[in-house]
Amino acid sequence: MMNEPWGKAGPAVAARQVTKTYANGVRAVRSVDLEVPPGEIRAVVGENGAGKSTLMKMFYGLEQPSAGAILVGGRPRVLRGPASAIALGVGMVHQNLMLVPSFTVAQNVVLGVEPGRRGLVDPKAAVERTARLAEESGLTVDPRARVEEVSVGMRQRTEILKALHRKARVLILDEPTAVLTPQETEDLFAAVRRLRDGGMTVLFISHKLREVREISDKVSVMRAGSLVGTVATADATERSLASMMVGRDLSLDVERSPARPTETTLRVRCLGYEAATGQWLHGLDFDVAAGEIVGVAGIEGNGQSELAEILAGLRRPSTGTVHLDGTDTAGLDVAGHRRAGIGYVPEDRLYNGAALDASIADNLVVDRHDRPPLARRGVLYPGAVRAHAEELIGEYAIRTPDPSVPVRALSGGNLQKVIVARELSAGPRLLIASQVTRGVDIGAMRFMYERLVAARDAGAAVLLISADLTELLGLSDRLLVLKDGRLVARFDDTTGLTEKRVGLYMLGVEEHGRDRLTVGLDTLTAGPEDPGETT
Amino acid sequence: MTTTAMTAIETEDRRQYRATRRRDFAVDLSMALATILAALVIGFLVMLATGNDPVRAYEVMLTGPLERSFRVGRWLEDATTLTLLGLSVAIPFRARQISLGAESQVYAGALAAATVAIFVPLPPVVAVIVPMAAAAAAGAGMGLVPGAMKARLGANEIVATLMLNAIVVRVYDYLVNGPLKESGSSAVHSKSIQQDSALTPLSDWFGVPLGRANIGFGVMLLTAAALWLLITRTPLGYRIRMTGANPDFAAYGGIRVPRVIEWSFVIGGAVAGLAGAHLVQGVYGRLEPGLAGSLAFEGIVVALLARNNPLVVVIAGLFYSYLRAGGDIMEQQTDVGTEIVVVIQAVIVLLVTAQALPNLLKRRIARRQVGVR
Repeated sequence: MMNEPWGKAGPAVAARQVTKTYANGVRAVRSVDLEVPPGEIRAVVGENGAGKSTLMKMFYGLEQPSAGAILVGGRPRVLRGPASAIALGVGMVHQNLMLVPSFTVAQNVVLGVEPGRRGLVDPKAAVERTARLAEESGLTVDPRARVEEVSVGMRQRTEILKALHRKARVLILDEPTAVLTPQETEDLFAAVRRLRDGGMTVLFISHKLREVREISDKVSVMRAGSLVGTVATADATERSLASMMVGRDLSLDVERSPARPTETTLRVRCLGYEAATGQWLHGLDFDVAAGEIVGVAGIEGNGQSELAEILAGLRRPSTGTVHLDGTDTAGLDVAGHRRAGIGYVPEDRLYNGAALDASIADNLVVDRHDRPPLARRGVLYPGAVRAHAEELIGEYAIRTPDPSVPVRALSGGNLQKVIVARELSAGPRLLIASQVTRGVDIGAMRFMYERLVAARDAGAAVLLISADLTELLGLSDRLLVLKDGRLVARFDDTTGLTEKRVGLYMLGVEEHGRDRLTVGLDTLTAGPEDPGETT
Repeated sequence: MTTTAMTAIETEDRRQYRATRRRDFAVDLSMALATILAALVIGFLVMLATGNDPVRAYEVMLTGPLERSFRVGRWLEDATTLTLLGLSVAIPFRARQISLGAESQVYAGALAAATVAIFVPLPPVVAVIVPMAAAAAAGAGMGLVPGAMKARLGANEIVATLMLNAIVVRVYDYLVNGPLKESGSSAVHSKSIQQDSALTPLSDWFGVPLGRANIGFGVMLLTAAALWLLITRTPLGYRIRMTGANPDFAAYGGIRVPRVIEWSFVIGGAVAGLAGAHLVQGVYGRLEPGLAGSLAFEGIVVALLARNNPLVVVIAGLFYSYLRAGGDIMEQQTDVGTEIVVVIQAVIVLLVTAQALPNLLKRRIARRQVGVR
């Protein structure tokens, strides 16, 4: 594929007074002027909904500006779709990787632009080409491995190689580190620097300010659709960037007194899970006491989802026992788990955390719609449902003009508030909070943190599952690490624990012995139910 | 909190939001009327193109059903059956179950009602109620079969209901042509029901001839109201709505989704069974081959037009029946056949189900408001 010619001088990509108004009336980007010269790593930061993704989509042709012009290679361009962006040398690696799982790495890299003649693909050339690109860029991949069998990190490198194969001169990376361990992140950064030194322009979207400081040459900050400013990374601190992002000083450090754990609320013994799909779990033993937050770290897909769903009653364990306040949860259905005092903020709020077309009021009562004060003698009182919603909307600062608004119309952080409001207002003995701040803005993030700590201090046991190590280390009183469905580390004191250190356990480089993992746990056998042990 | 990341609705206050809702409702309503008008225009053009007199045809079609009292009766009788069948599928549709089983349910209901009303001697009033209850029970049972297959075994409910239709309709035909056929009659039909089991004709009440229209019309209105209350005012209705909105969310919230699915089929089946009872006890007074005609299928259309809201189903059923009745009169009195009514109905269905017009207009309005702001 031949790239269209670029102008000799000028920025690699630029936006001139670009505005994007969506059909539903949301103005996502407002008169943005942005210039990125060739050979620069430019970070674009901002809260969720600040417009950075929309701006990037316009550079990649996925969205068209409502007003203003997009410049690539120094000239105004009309990008009708990704194909025209690619033809101009713009490549994008999305947050959700877009590869064919059953193809090999090499097949994915060359897909659409295959080497070969007369309609036939030359598989050997594809592998060679991939290997050479990997060699040049420092993005290590195994060209012959099938994508579904390789790590998330390698999938991401495959995506980047795919862009390189299409002769990208501008690379847009949308939150590339969200799925990576600290070690993989470092490797990625090294490769990105190498690409930059070879003349590549990199647009790096992130909200992790520490990483932005590490990788970028300059930082552009967006807020509420507008470009607030661009600063040289050397002159910026995380604090100054954060205040630019939110428009005022806002720290994410949550004030939190030391935990005062009391009796054991959740007792998990020898928990195993085997199923046709999903990560299996093997012999998990741990306790969570009332009044403490126990974090669960791990690279995504190492059993966190399965563990959360088993504890919430959505899946049945194959072996082992789960006790909540001494009650065996085996044989309870989901409603039974909820009655026993389990609250669950699911990891994917769009999948099962909410009914998007139903109203806020209806979304708030799914676990309590059949009992007083909402329902009596088989009659559900809409007035009571509405009053219940008004109360929670006030208490949890849910932003809406009315309880009858369908939750589809809410932004991510606001929708998450609806879910957290529902789960916390049930007064759970155990709260399972899975990816509770994923895709929410900083204001909502801080709100969630405060609520979790408040729930802890009110005597709830909190199991915090997150892909965000900063969040885990900031909130957890104790920390567990899951790898391949096993517990591989347990830190009873998280003070002084670094992300890097936890990363070693997440990767399986280090591992705690069984003695350390199970110290202080009573009855480690999960034999048949003994009526005398409900203490 | 912060000023960022607001969606359009989040920036509104309650007054603005209510205004927006009123505006959207007005748009919906006027678009419904515009849709009907557009369909009539297309029908007009078709008639013109085929060399007919569209003005005369429309005059007959649109005023015909109201011209004589017995034509009004014909309309109401048809609307009763059609609306009940529309309601019967609206309930499973609310649970996002594509039930096409109204046909098997209406015939099962008709068989049950006829069997009781012909052979079981009962005192007055009870003689009306018991066959209807039997019909509802038979329809409910006919709904439970595909409902349980879907909920417990994961069968595809479309296939299950269609196949059950095929079986039940054949069994019905066999019974009407065989064991239940009135002996000594040359035409194929069953014996007539006992006089006490007949639904009282509306003619007796209003003193004008209203054909075969009967108090089944009132039963239909009550059923619609009851189903509306069920959906909006009961925990089961809530579970049906949430299962329809997002079954994974319902399951996560502790709702037993399979049971809700079964209930939605059973309730829908019972209502379709009532439609069968109405046909036997109110319209024909006996079993006849194919007595439900194509109404079971058209009930689905009515439910879709009404977006599965029980109260709107009544309006849609009345409207749809009016077109049917008008089409019949048009065919009798002009050269234009009922096919043109089918064309009009089809255009309406296409426009309404595609939701094309209202969405386009709402988007326009939203965009203009943003521009003004």
